[in-house]
Amino acid sequence: METVLSISNISKRYGKIQAVKELTLEVEKGQVFGLLGPNGSGKTTTLSMILDLIKANSGSFQWFGKTPGKESRKRIGSVIESPNFFPYLSPVINLKIVADIKDIGYEDIDRVLNLTGLFERRNTRFKTFSFGMKQRLAVASALLGNPDVLILDEPTNGLDPQGIAHIRELILLIASQGTTIILASHLLDEVQKICSHVAVLSKGKKLFDGKVSEVLAISDCYEFSARNVELLETAIRSHPAFQSMTPGAEITQVYFNAVVNPEELNTYFFQHGVTLTHLSERKRSLEQHFLELLDNNQ
Amino acid sequence: MIKLLKIEFKKILTYKIFWILTGLYFLFLTLGLLMAEFMINNMVDNMNKRLPIPMPHVALYFLPWIWQNITFFATLRYVLIFPAIVIIILITNEFTFKTIRQNVINGMSKAEFLGSKLLIIMLVSVTVTILLTIGTLILGIAHTSDLTFSMVLEKSTFMIGFFITMLTIQVYALFFGFILRNTGLSIALFTLYLFIVEPILYYFLKSPVVFPNNISPYLPVNAVLRITEYPSIQVLKNIMGINLQESVSFAAICIPLGYSAIMVGIVYWVLVKRDL
Repeated sequence: METVLSISNISKRYGKIQAVKELTLEVEKGQVFGLLGPNGSGKTTTLSMILDLIKANSGSFQWFGKTPGKESRKRIGSVIESPNFFPYLSPVINLKIVADIKDIGYEDIDRVLNLTGLFERRNTRFKTFSFGMKQRLAVASALLGNPDVLILDEPTNGLDPQGIAHIRELILLIASQGTTIILASHLLDEVQKICSHVAVLSKGKKLFDGKVSEVLAISDCYEFSARNVELLETAIRSHPAFQSMTPGAEITQVYFNAVVNPEELNTYFFQHGVTLTHLSERKRSLEQHFLELLDNNQ
Repeated sequence: MIKLLKIEFKKILTYKIFWILTGLYFLFLTLGLLMAEFMINNMVDNMNKRLPIPMPHVALYFLPWIWQNITFFATLRYVLIFPAIVIIILITNEFTFKTIRQNVINGMSKAEFLGSKLLIIMLVSVTVTILLTIGTLILGIAHTSDLTFSMVLEKSTFMIGFFITMLTIQVYALFFGFILRNTGLSIALFTLYLFIVEPILYYFLKSPVVFPNNISPYLPVNAVLRITEYPSIQVLKNIMGINLQESVSFAAICIPLGYSAIMVGIVYWVLVKRDL
């Protein structure tokens, strides 16, 4: 695997506030890497540091295995915070400026405007755009020239549901073409839908990183009851995905650390000589799960 | 370099405020220069009503002295403030719109960004110098009888002085823009310094009590204004007995260029050090 970005022990402090603390990350080619964390967890600061906008107090990073500089930035398309364009210029001229800086031709401008649905408005001044359109132009500028890496900081922020779905589809399409994507988001659901890998940040520190399917695995919760409580509990404890159990007078609540389904559970208990009198599934919301992840690591 | 100019042209070409201010500058400059002789002579006439011996009228527009006179009037504080404000706006806009961030993200180095603004300053200085040279030549030829070629070239070095004045005053403006980053604040403080702070400093430092060696002429703006310090007017020559300034001195050019080099150095250092 080719490493696209490696960050080692990077830290940034704003006065008393430690925005990022000794963060170490590796992003491999082709990954859709999510930086997940609540507001103020250091996502934007991290992205700003790896794009040379702000200087780290300590630590270092490398792009494409080399010391970073303007040439490496030309291979990266980014949307950071707000969309930054000249308000009195049209999208086309704004994008031409981007193309000039990146040393690429103007042929790609129509394509990215079409992809983001802005082609019709290509000659109207940027300041007449709605926030959603501005955000889409930022995505268009990031896509210009098919960069090796796409960095998106809250790309669906401020978009309507239709716009959100559109941008997500676009990200998945680009990811399927092999472009490495780094996506910062505070929406667990967004990261889960789009990303292959994730790092969870809280207060500038990395809590976990790894494959989305592993880190964000939902530990499903089920409720059971049976006449023979003792046998039930023994069977629950010996289940391969067993995580924790809250026995009750009538109903026993059980958390599993892998995805299980009712049919499978019913068969399992039957095989262990337990006849269930009650079986129900309790789905926790993703957000609730995310908050628990953060809480457990405070 | 061509690439940076291409980018700057796109930023400026359809920017209304830039063209309005540039238009006003040229209007002000043209009218001012064409009216200067008339206005001074009008003043002379008024004074002559009270003077026993009447003063002669001034004639500003004959070659070769027109070079000195035109560049004197075109480098007054009131005129120089225009290109300075334009440069401040072009630079602070990049901070207001956060486009400097976007330029850096997209792969421009901070040195290139600073370089692109210096290129614009250079281009504005060259353009205005060329236009003023053409205007002065036309005006001078129209007002001069018995014209010889040497009369045209003589004193034309004042045009080099004008170019350096344009260049350095805009670099000072660039300094304010990059350090303060805010359009209103930069314009306000620059204007304040140009018209009030430095004139006060000038007289303060001039008094021998404060400083035994007079360093007033070396203040940044004063050093720029001294490049083309005096017009060449017969009345002044009669009163003073000598012509106050014969040519643009090399030393007078070097001081503001030195200040400019230091300012560009500081701006670069700050740009690299500060977060965007």
